[in-house]
Amino acid sequence: MTNMPKERRAGPGYLWPVAIIMIAGAVAGAFAGYSDGLAETGGQPLPTWAGPVAALVLALAGMALYIRLNREAWAGWSPRKRLYWVTMVASMSLGAGVALTLQVAQGSGDLASDAPLTPATAIIVSVIWVVGMSVASLFYFRAVDDHERHAYYLGSVAGFHAFVIACPVWWVAARASLAPPVGAMALFVLTLAVNLIVYLWFKYR
Amino acid sequence: MNNKLKVLRAMRNWSQAELADRLDVSRQAVNAIETGKYDPSLPLAFKLARLFEMPIEDIFDDGFAGQE
Repeated sequence: MTNMPKERRAGPGYLWPVAIIMIAGAVAGAFAGYSDGLAETGGQPLPTWAGPVAALVLALAGMALYIRLNREAWAGWSPRKRLYWVTMVASMSLGAGVALTLQVAQGSGDLASDAPLTPATAIIVSVIWVVGMSVASLFYFRAVDDHERHAYYLGSVAGFHAFVIACPVWWVAARASLAPPVGAMALFVLTLAVNLIVYLWFKYR
Repeated sequence: MNNKLKVLRAMRNWSQAELADRLDVSRQAVNAIETGKYDPSLPLAFKLARLFEMPIEDIFDDGFAGQE
């Protein structure tokens, strides 16, 4: 084919949002490292919320600047495409909000740990998750095109199978003292990871 | 399923992104249909047919044309 038009991507692209999120994550990590360093040398560590809040502020400022610089490109987008990206950004913010709430509530340590939480924290996180996921899913399915919906369905089925295969095996293995007790978060992460890998494969292959 | 989407798009000198905008789908959707990795839904196939002003069977070929 000699007359093929050169491919180019319409709109501002994904590179900057990804870079902004990665930089914000690095800032949170730097705060945590600095705080740990202070604690090790006998100093007063930074408050646990300092890193996540700094990262959130940086991410919001970066995204606001990115949106402002590309406002002419957004103007040409269809309502479906706009709703899709609003839903994407809202979903990422939802995840960040849950992570931030957990991090502030539990202090330092692994976010996916089984460390005790106060009832208030558990209720806040649960409400954010249930309401946020329900609303985001509703808008997502109104905004996706059929190719992405197909990829999402295949990813969801793969995630479901990962869960129904792994969970009983782990459960019987734990009952026979062949494995540690079943971990809800480990299964959640496994399901989500399989879902994401299959979804990305069918969307971008 | 085979299709002539790439040729039809090239005849109009549209990029995948431009065609995607006209169909209100993602560029990945256009690419997946063109390369035969994804068969569009019936509503999207009709949308393509209307856009290119051709019957669906002139765009898509299921390999059974003329065998009935």
